Amino acid sequence: MLAISNLVTEFDSVKALNGISFQAKPGLITTVIGANGAGKSTLLRTISGLEKPSSGSIKWFDEELTSKSVESIVRNGIAHVPEGHAVISQLSVAENIELGGLFRRRSFRGDLAIATKEVYELFPILFERRNEAAGSLSGGERQMLAISRALVSRPKLLLLDEPSLGLAPMISAQIISIVNNLCRATGLTVLLVEQNANTALTVADHGILLALGKVVADLPAKEMIADSSLRAAYLGY
Amino acid sequence: MTSFLTAFFSGTAQGAIYALVSLGLVLVWRGAGVVNFAQMGQAMFTTYIASQLIQHSYSYWTAFVIALISGAILGAIVDLGLMRPLTSRKNSKLLNSQSLRTTIPVIASLGILGVLKALAGIFWAGEERGFPSPVAPTAIKIGETNLAITGFDLFVIGVVFLTLVLTTIFFTRTGMGLAMRASALNPEVTRLSGIKVGSVRTLGWAISGTASSLAGLLVTPRTNLSPNTLDLLLIVGFTAAVVGGLSSLMGSVLGGFILGYVISFVNVYSAPENVFIAILIFLLLALFIRPQGILGSKEVRRV
Amino acid sequence: MSKGIKPVRLKYKVIGRRSALLSIALFISFILLSNQFDPYNQSQLANIATLLIAVLSITLLTGASGQISLGQGAIMAVGGYSAALLVTRLGLSMWLAFILAIFVSALFGLFLGLAAARLSGPYLAGTTLVMALAIPSIAVRFETFFSGDVGLSVDYGVPPTWLSNLVGEISIEQWSLYVVLPFTAVALFAVLNLSNTRTGRTWRAVRDNEVSAALSGINIGRTKVIVFACASGLAGLAGALYGFRGLVAPSVYPTDLSLTLLTAAVIGGLRSIGGAIFGTFAIVFLPDLIEKITKNFAVPESVGNYLPSLTIGVLLLLTVILNPMGIAGAAGHLRHHRKH
Repeated sequence: MLAISNLVTEFDSVKALNGISFQAKPGLITTVIGANGAGKSTLLRTISGLEKPSSGSIKWFDEELTSKSVESIVRNGIAHVPEGHAVISQLSVAENIELGGLFRRRSFRGDLAIATKEVYELFPILFERRNEAAGSLSGGERQMLAISRALVSRPKLLLLDEPSLGLAPMISAQIISIVNNLCRATGLTVLLVEQNANTALTVADHGILLALGKVVADLPAKEMIADSSLRAAYLGY
Repeated sequence: MTSFLTAFFSGTAQGAIYALVSLGLVLVWRGAGVVNFAQMGQAMFTTYIASQLIQHSYSYWTAFVIALISGAILGAIVDLGLMRPLTSRKNSKLLNSQSLRTTIPVIASLGILGVLKALAGIFWAGEERGFPSPVAPTAIKIGETNLAITGFDLFVIGVVFLTLVLTTIFFTRTGMGLAMRASALNPEVTRLSGIKVGSVRTLGWAISGTASSLAGLLVTPRTNLSPNTLDLLLIVGFTAAVVGGLSSLMGSVLGGFILGYVISFVNVYSAPENVFIAILIFLLLALFIRPQGILGSKEVRRV
Repeated sequence: MSKGIKPVRLKYKVIGRRSALLSIALFISFILLSNQFDPYNQSQLANIATLLIAVLSITLLTGASGQISLGQGAIMAVGGYSAALLVTRLGLSMWLAFILAIFVSALFGLFLGLAAARLSGPYLAGTTLVMALAIPSIAVRFETFFSGDVGLSVDYGVPPTWLSNLVGEISIEQWSLYVVLPFTAVALFAVLNLSNTRTGRTWRAVRDNEVSAALSGINIGRTKVIVFACASGLAGLAGALYGFRGLVAPSVYPTDLSLTLLTAAVIGGLRSIGGAIFGTFAIVFLPDLIEKITKNFAVPESVGNYLPSLTIGVLLLLTVILNPMGIAGAAGHLRHHRKH
């Protein structure tokens, strides 16, 4: 479904992505790990269109994404939850979720109501606080809201950028476990960027290790955990 | 007592119009980050269109509707033809100065104002002409006594009130209104929700254009129509927006009414010549005491 | 080590000399030009010389320190009224009145700057626009003192006998040029030098990025206020010279004047002094040029009246879209390309 080849993204002649190639595994969780500055966030932002690559290709079901706008990429079934609780603080919880499904409203009106209900079932606390301003939520709740906004559009691919950033371990574990269950239940494909490689590899099916903008390893998660030299060299444990 | 009532009623009617102008300014400011100084030029232009239609025997209401539609189209053209190219990536490389980046759109809107005024002069000879009002501008009588308010004032207040109600419903209860609010608050998250932020912004310009057209139609029966008559309206509208809060739609409306009363009371209790000075003093006071406006929120600048 | 310090000093002196030469060159070329022209064009040249000072004030304010003012016309009015009142009420000589007008306007600009320093972008633009409308109306409000709409009649007087003995018969238009040009030359010299000194660099730092400038220890507020005062002094001088063409009244300093000045600065290039010269020539001569062209076509009067302002508006838009740095910016680009 998602095939990336030789992707290069530059910022003022610094190559954040230096020739990345891999394929997403449908219905599975692939985690992208690596040190700070390895290019993980840039990779997600290039896929969703927020950054334009200088060369390379991103094929989504054989359609080339690199020339498309962010909005049209999202409408094609890719949802991106950027790092840092991407919600609109001045809008209410319900409005944030509604925003995520707006573009589908005309064609899938009934379906949107169902999707919203499902999202509230996934994160009941959001239903309780649905009329409150998003800015008044706790960090964990805001992250849940950000993910809900992405999920309500029923994406085929979910790009999650450091969902555990700034959250207490228990809460981030809870969130990741919910995403994990969702993936198993619905066959959603997930590309998960995580700083904490250990936790990420435990829940993921596949792992991609980035270093300095290049793919260093592309292995099933179990093998990556088992490879101690890899872990020592790039992940520090 | 009668002078107080006169001041109050005329202040309400004038304030309603200022609220419209202010609303249009704030819409574009929040949606596109630009203060559109050409706004009243657009209003003047569309009012001339209406005036031409009326002179050619079309009914007032036909002309009214066409003026509003022209206002929307003109607003959209300004965004698509000027503002978008200005802020496109290619141009932002040329302007490596932070302050120039904010001043260039302002200068551009002044350019449009100049062009619109000149075009109005060329098309319609720039002569001052009257503009009809659908309701007789005579004082309303209860029995034998004259109330200090005319039928036309009531019409203005009614129309503006209706507009504000429709606008509120639009922004709080419709999907497009939500998209507009979201685009203004956080364009990146809105784009990631699959919404074409650019198109939404153009719609904001179109709505602002309609609001300004309406203001033009409502104010010209009293002031007459010429390429320069609406300049004062822009200045008052701007002051109203600043006083109420450039970042708040509700604030802009509030500011409009406040200015309406200030000007009206200065007119009645002081002298008409003092009006400009009063506006300037009011603006300076607002900027010193509460720069973000009554209902505005303080902008946090992150370093 | 000491060898490293000296060259910097020399550079400043060289630049000072260069700008003095440039100013004198402009002065002389204007005088020579004017001898070739008929009285009408001579007075146009005088207009250019006068308005150039005002446009330079915008180049200073916006181009050098990034603040926008839509009310330079109003500050011109302040200068004009100051000089006119000093001459008519206190009987001072015209020359002294001009010099004092600079200080009055600069003081006014100081206060304006205090208010403006806290404002940015659209707030500043709107406030100065309101000022452009409000200040001329003060003259109407306090009619007894300012002579209301009628205004104050002032003029340049007659050329002194020693000069006409030296140069021969001097027409009114020639004399106006002789009066204005020294001031223009000095203004040009001042602005040229300001941009090359440490002060100028400070101003540019504020223009480009306020946060970085503040972090470098520059007192942003004070810098902005100083720039405003200087620019206002220039505008006031221009206003005094402008008024002494014959009348100081609210109608002489309308809102349109502020916008026209800004247009001149933008078309020529906001940051360029050469651009300011080009822009001022453009806005003064453009109406005449257009009239010459339209004479050949049967153009109705209404169109003819508005064609100049239409052209100027379109030029402004084209400049802003195609090359915000104006003609000067385009010239810079060409030079850049030719080098490669």
